[in-house]
Amino acid sequence: MKKRIVLYNPKLPKLTKNEQEVLKILIEAGKLIAPIYSLQENNKYPGANFYPHTAAKNDIEKAARKNPDILSPFTVVEEKSGKLTAVPYHEKYADLLQPVIKKLNQAAEIADNKEFAKRLKIQAKSLQDGSYEEAIIAWMSMKPYILDITIGPIERYDDELFFVKCAYQAWVGVWNKKETDKATKFQKIIFSSQRKVLMPSEHVSFFDKVQTRIDKTLLFSGLIGKFKFGGTNLPNEIDLMEKYGSEITLFEPALHDRFVNKRLPIFKAVFNEKFQACFKQNGLFKASVYTTLLHELAHTFMRYRGAEKRLGNLFPVIDEIGASVLGVKACGSLLVKDVISQKEMEYLLVISVARLFDWLDELKKDHSKIHYVRGNAIALHYLLDSGALMIQKGISWPNFNKMFIAIDELAAVLDRILSMGSYKDAEVFVNKYGSLAVFDNFKHCLRKIY
Amino acid sequence: MTTKSRTLPPAQAVYFTPKGFKEAEEELDFLKNAKRAQVSERISQARDFGDLDENAEYDAALEEQGLIENRITYLEEVLKNAQMISETSGSDFVVIGSTVKVEMDGEIDEFTIVGKIEANPSKKKISNESPVGEALLGAKVGELVEVATPIVRYKVKVLEIK
Repeated sequence: MKKRIVLYNPKLPKLTKNEQEVLKILIEAGKLIAPIYSLQENNKYPGANFYPHTAAKNDIEKAARKNPDILSPFTVVEEKSGKLTAVPYHEKYADLLQPVIKKLNQAAEIADNKEFAKRLKIQAKSLQDGSYEEAIIAWMSMKPYILDITIGPIERYDDELFFVKCAYQAWVGVWNKKETDKATKFQKIIFSSQRKVLMPSEHVSFFDKVQTRIDKTLLFSGLIGKFKFGGTNLPNEIDLMEKYGSEITLFEPALHDRFVNKRLPIFKAVFNEKFQACFKQNGLFKASVYTTLLHELAHTFMRYRGAEKRLGNLFPVIDEIGASVLGVKACGSLLVKDVISQKEMEYLLVISVARLFDWLDELKKDHSKIHYVRGNAIALHYLLDSGALMIQKGISWPNFNKMFIAIDELAAVLDRILSMGSYKDAEVFVNKYGSLAVFDNFKHCLRKIY
Repeated sequence: MTTKSRTLPPAQAVYFTPKGFKEAEEELDFLKNAKRAQVSERISQARDFGDLDENAEYDAALEEQGLIENRITYLEEVLKNAQMISETSGSDFVVIGSTVKVEMDGEIDEFTIVGKIEANPSKKKISNESPVGEALLGAKVGELVEVATPIVRYKVKVLEIK
């Protein structure tokens, strides 16, 4: 099993000696999460190692009706004497968690910033006894501080069966205040108008409590070490979002790597050479960062109570591509307000197309990225069907106006499914538009890079 | 998204509220009488670090000086062509200075239309030269106007003029 640790070496702002010492311990703590994740990860089974491999989906649902802990985000399901039981993470992985807890407490003991020290202690306690909600509240309530660590069972992407079980991960970073200020200004503009929502009674609105932070990341460990996300929007629990808001974190080094290793090569592979000549690399990079920010911001537009339960394992498919298209759609109003120029809008649209191929090459090795790939296939289908993208030796010249109309229509459909659609509605839609065969149109282009 | 280096066609009227005009004058004064000297000092200190070919501080200071001089030229030009906006309250159609509540693309939005130098979308101040600003000028409450760019096209309904 691979050890999911990614270390980055960004140029950091000046840190005090104490901050440097604390940071060192946080990185050590974060690294210790990877072995726990390796016990959860299993690419051969849709339920990874969260459920017994022999248990059928129906059996798990049946057992969960008697014992709701079976489908708790923080338990491992095991079969004992033919019966399914739920073991809390903090008990199951207690031995491996002890050194992590020790490191977090050690960092708390020496940290000069008392608020951060308190937060680290709460974080350590949550790993000890499963009080994860307290840790999230402490994280969300803390004033922005130069050091950042997020650690624990957080993301659910590895649970393809139910999209319920959280996998362990950790990231450690240092605040980039200058870039954060720019992103916050952009966030204010995006949130300045009030969207009409389809199901107001089910919609969870917390725009005034969203914080954006850009970090110079030093470590990804566990699940995030596998996905190497450019950004996240946490927490995932809708009740906590409503009360405490959410925190968007963008990871600078990961954004840079993603652009250099994925989006730029994809741009060069799928677009016609003459078209490529109209776009500069630094403009594409900037657009790549902003599409990630827009994606994370748009997640906050589409939070509906009960959506995850209604849509089950199809929720992340609809939710992720929904955030991508809604983020781009929001740029329309930026364009007419002169916040962005016509050319900048074109950069954003072009990168949005490149983004649709982001995870494709990794799917063969790791099926847990299927949520993203399936959603991207839906958007690509829409763009091709609408005539926004025409393929002739690569995408020759997108029709930006048609692209925007297609994105607008798709955003409306996805919003409708998230707000009131049933599992069946989502399934019919995904089956109709989510076929991965749509990528075959680009086989000859992508051969150069994949 | 980006910081643009602006140039202004000669003798084009630039609209200002009295507050915006005062702020622009103060900014110009600060740049000419304080910032210029600060950046000259920074250049001089960076020069002392030696080896100008590989002196990042010197390059950064020179770049800052260029930006300041561009901004001074720009502000001098726009202040020369300034046209003050008179009191707008009570107008039954949209003028520069009006705060408008509109419905656009399923969203309710409220912003003030200002001259382009005062535009600050994060503070809900939109330029009269932006597509939506241009389209709204002269519109009355209840009117539906079209905002079109080569990429997007919206119908905007005026809900209220303040």
